[in-house]
Amino acid sequence: MANINSVDISRLKNGEVNLGTSIMAVQFNGGVVIGADSRTTTGAYIANRVTDKLTHIHDRIYCCRSGSAADTQAVADVVHQHAQVYTSVYGAPPTVSTAAALFEKMCYDNKDQLSAGIIVAGWDKEAGGSVYNIPLGGGMFQQPWAIGGSGSTYVYGYCDATYREGWNEQETVEFVKNTLALAMSRDGSSGGCIRMCVITKDKVERHFIPGNELPRFWEGKEIIGSVGGNGQQIGVVA
Amino acid sequence: MVSKAVETPNAGFDFSNYARNEFFGQRLQGIPKATSTGTTIVGVIFGGGDSGEEPGVCLGADTRATGGPIVADKNCEKIHYLTPQIRCCGAGTAADTEFVTNLISSNLELHALSQGRPARVVTAMTMLKQYLFRYQGHVGAHLVLGGVDVTGPQLFTVHAHGSTDKLPYVTMGSGSLAAMAVFESSFKENMKREEAIALVSRAIRSGIFNDLGSGSNVDVAVITKNGTENLRNYEMPNERGLKSRNYKFRRGTTAWTKESIRSLIVSEEIKSTSGAGKDQGGVEVVPVPTGAGAGGEEGMEIDS
Amino acid sequence: MENNGGSVVAMIGKDCVAIASDLRLGNQAVGIASNFDKVFPVNDKLYYGLPGLATDVYTLKEHLRFRVNMYRMKEEREITPKTFTHLVSSTLYEKRFGPFFIEPVVAGLPTPTELDPHPKPFISTMDTIGCVTTPKDFAVAGTAADKLYGVAEGLWEPDLEPEDLFETVSQTLLNAVDRDALSGWGAVVHIITHDKVITRTLRARMD
Repeated sequence: MANINSVDISRLKNGEVNLGTSIMAVQFNGGVVIGADSRTTTGAYIANRVTDKLTHIHDRIYCCRSGSAADTQAVADVVHQHAQVYTSVYGAPPTVSTAAALFEKMCYDNKDQLSAGIIVAGWDKEAGGSVYNIPLGGGMFQQPWAIGGSGSTYVYGYCDATYREGWNEQETVEFVKNTLALAMSRDGSSGGCIRMCVITKDKVERHFIPGNELPRFWEGKEIIGSVGGNGQQIGVVA
Repeated sequence: MVSKAVETPNAGFDFSNYARNEFFGQRLQGIPKATSTGTTIVGVIFGGGDSGEEPGVCLGADTRATGGPIVADKNCEKIHYLTPQIRCCGAGTAADTEFVTNLISSNLELHALSQGRPARVVTAMTMLKQYLFRYQGHVGAHLVLGGVDVTGPQLFTVHAHGSTDKLPYVTMGSGSLAAMAVFESSFKENMKREEAIALVSRAIRSGIFNDLGSGSNVDVAVITKNGTENLRNYEMPNERGLKSRNYKFRRGTTAWTKESIRSLIVSEEIKSTSGAGKDQGGVEVVPVPTGAGAGGEEGMEIDS
Repeated sequence: MENNGGSVVAMIGKDCVAIASDLRLGNQAVGIASNFDKVFPVNDKLYYGLPGLATDVYTLKEHLRFRVNMYRMKEEREITPKTFTHLVSSTLYEKRFGPFFIEPVVAGLPTPTELDPHPKPFISTMDTIGCVTTPKDFAVAGTAADKLYGVAEGLWEPDLEPEDLFETVSQTLLNAVDRDALSGWGAVVHIITHDKVITRTLRARMD
């Protein structure tokens, strides 16, 4: 029987394209903000530096993908198809929880073969904006905010300390942007630029932050050329 | 009936030798390596915008095929035909790229016939990624897919595990780093056609000269909505120098112990005879070797 | 591949092709037989060689004999070298995930037809899973393949007459095989021309 511990991100097939990622989704009153970095890697090589990991599932439902690029694309394509069929059959768009349940079933039933960590987020008339986290072996957890991918481990503390209920759209976008910038700066497998998406009843609005305009935080003091206490030159500490 | 059952093969792969080969792999020092195209393949989108030129896609490839450290083919073709307006460069296991592109090409033709319009590049991309995903990376085809359809020029990479990327300039194969270095420093949006061809061939040349797995010549294909231009061996920077003298052996150098000559000349002598119903004894036919086999015990004669 | 040993080489000449193989059958380092021919005829002007695992040589040979006979009966014509190459190739690729340990070499003279009155001599070779290469000069395969590449690259030249091609292909095989412990023990050469096929058994080192 497959042990839950045997399902981990390092179990990528040899030479597989990896989304060593920082992804995020945050709920706010009236919608959600989702965001991701833009790096895909094969080993040490960046196969794509402007990847779009925010994947369209339905008109108001998107997902953030982390793990194997092939697996997550395949799962997203299947759920996208299910969502289209659902709309034709029931004459109404699926709710975010329905889409998340479809993802969860795929990820759980095929847990031995997939390495996919997915965050599903979007807007529907029943629940408004909502965020569902579907971690590696399956499972579906509704959360006010969710982070995922290899970069997320660096910023759990930041999110816990910073997140407040009742933010508006602007505040939420800033939170996502700052969190991702922090994750990308610490995680070697994440980087490039930030892609974000605001999903509300009325719009799906994309934001793009180029790599040279990312929010910056304290990055060390420039002391090149300064003289140390004992009169010796000190190298770069930055 | 029996022959039909025996002859008609089941579709798909045959794993009947798999267990045996696993055993051999353990007993011997590894199993033979398949030809791989240690490759540089690239693609760019050009035209449109202020260039005043028809938007299109330019694909490029080197022409070296390797089997381990041996150069198996010095001038192979890595730009594969999919449809009149879609081409696909292949890297990885050579047989896989060949058979996968042939299969998808057939299916695209059938698709175009059933839909009554040319297949789109995304359709080719989806067929490829779904096929490759099904085989979980065991079918080792790494592809650069490019073409022009009703939605304009399209360029994708498809990895062996089934993931795809959509970018304005792409490289793949062992020479992808060398080629990408050229693109990252020199790519511009809305290039002219000639600029694009020059950039692509420079990227391939960078692979040919800096990557051991790539070599020989530059192949280029240019696709616009007006058609596809195949520039096979667009550049040949590694032509072999002419030998000024030769190593021809004098006849009789090689000692042989036995010779058998099988003549393929069929001679018949026909004598005309007059009068119907007459004795045909005058007709003499010189016996000739019959049957299709080349003779001997090993011949592939029909009855055996 | 290294189990039984053996090598094949094919070359293109002027309106002729040559295909040659060694005659050794071994069990690893132990020689078993010196009459193991690896080159077989398909029809008058088309031959192919199957260097590799001996059990697969027989399996593949019989399988191809069946397929070619069926082709001949259905089509009522001889198979062309190109078509035969594709037949071998797809037969090998069908076993992509459990391959035959064989690297076939095909050599033939296509028969002139109305559409193509002057067909060029044809050779081709494949890897174990059926990736075809159709060289314009020579094709090599087997345990001495890397040596054969070197020698053939130096000795081959275009437009050799049948008797000159015989010398070139024989010397290529003999000298390459002498430096391969798993190939040798005699050699046989076939020169295919439009009016005859010459088969010669060479005098070779027997160690």
